[in-house]
Amino acid sequence: MKQLLPISLNVNGDSYDIAIPPWRTLLEVLRENLGLTGTKKSCLEGQCGACTVLLDGKPVNSCLLLAVEAQGKEITTIEGLARDGVLHPLQKAFVEHGAIQCGFCSPGMALAAKALLDRNPNPSEDEVRHAIVGHLCRCTGYFQIIEAIRDAAAEMARKDVQA
Amino acid sequence: MTYLRRLPKFEYVGARSVREVSDLLARRPDETRLLAGGTDLILQMRRREVAPRYLVGLKGVSELAFVRQQEDGGMTMGALTTFQDIETSPLIREKYGILSQTASQIGGVEIRGVATIGGNLMGAQPCSDFPAPLITLGAKVKLVGKDGERLVALEDFFPEYGRTVAAPDEILTEILLPATSKLSGGCYLKFHDRHAMDMTITGAAAFVTLNDDRQTCSELKIALSSSAPVPKRVKKAGAFLQGKKLTEDALEETAALACQEAEPRSSWRARREFRLELIRGLTKRAVRQAWEEVMATANGGRK
Repeated sequence: MKQLLPISLNVNGDSYDIAIPPWRTLLEVLRENLGLTGTKKSCLEGQCGACTVLLDGKPVNSCLLLAVEAQGKEITTIEGLARDGVLHPLQKAFVEHGAIQCGFCSPGMALAAKALLDRNPNPSEDEVRHAIVGHLCRCTGYFQIIEAIRDAAAEMARKDVQA
Repeated sequence: MTYLRRLPKFEYVGARSVREVSDLLARRPDETRLLAGGTDLILQMRRREVAPRYLVGLKGVSELAFVRQQEDGGMTMGALTTFQDIETSPLIREKYGILSQTASQIGGVEIRGVATIGGNLMGAQPCSDFPAPLITLGAKVKLVGKDGERLVALEDFFPEYGRTVAAPDEILTEILLPATSKLSGGCYLKFHDRHAMDMTITGAAAFVTLNDDRQTCSELKIALSSSAPVPKRVKKAGAFLQGKKLTEDALEETAALACQEAEPRSSWRARREFRLELIRGLTKRAVRQAWEEVMATANGGRK
């Protein structure tokens, strides 16, 4: 059985050339090979959403995806959201609304929210709820997260108008 | 325990064409599994329910990802069509709304973006959501093997629990749907605990075609999820309403017949008796909503 496969991954705009066994998931490679531990490992069944990353802008559970199959895609993790030390409006809104308590679900929540806002800049409360249906949060009760996402959407719209 | 949650070892080949998949599968059919979206197979491997020696990745087989209208008014979609494609495709939403409705009820955005229709059917789980609505639409699947290709009615595709009639060397490549009448409509409803991200405890699909009088039923097909060892078409229930108007009594009798034909089991998710009550309620609601959709369409001229 061939043990190591050379693969190339594009994560947050950086290119990584590594050799991994084919049975490694994208989650394992991000955390263990690339040291990007912002992506969280939790249920490993696609139920909790903690391991969510964006693949060409679309949210996926990185625990269910083989790393070899993420080649040729633009992968965005939570580490890729802030720019030059400035938080993304979503991250800022999460902090301001108390949408983060233990923080374990936050990376996945923030990325699912980013995918939603990229597609739909002005979502209704119902649309926000549907976008995070695959994410469990055991602290906040979700309301702060939903408020934060809608607030970030409004903030991003204001910035667009100014720019 | 952590080590157990890693995947078992395998050799991986990323295929590019159906021909290549077919060749790889024919070489070692019993030791090879095809990996489409992976939302089922990766879990089964992690739990060590299966540990294939060879994994053929399908994500690069672009010829299997399509939704196409047919000249006869029907439609065909490739096995790699994702739930999200089905949820959002304008063609499917307009002509086969029952399928978009089914897709939108499954998992969350993350699952729907990768899970495929081919994987849902080949998994042959009684709780899979797509077989029932597809059966009511009269869907056929195309199987391609080393000796050529064949079409199988989806209704005959699941001979027993967890199995399909596909031979070990055959790949499901596409799903074909016949044209639907302007006076037809469908509905799929299911019950599950969280209203998202959950296994289906029981589901009912109904597809109804009315006569030109717009008052009586020309044909009604009903199929159930998680109500028998296999996705189950309940023929007597569907036939009962033929030629009749939609009355409360007729609906009640239809649902009673569906319960008679169903063979639900008791599991930790739900007892048999509860599932039967669900089948009765969901069947009535699905038939009524399908009927109402036809009336809305016929009067509003949406199709």
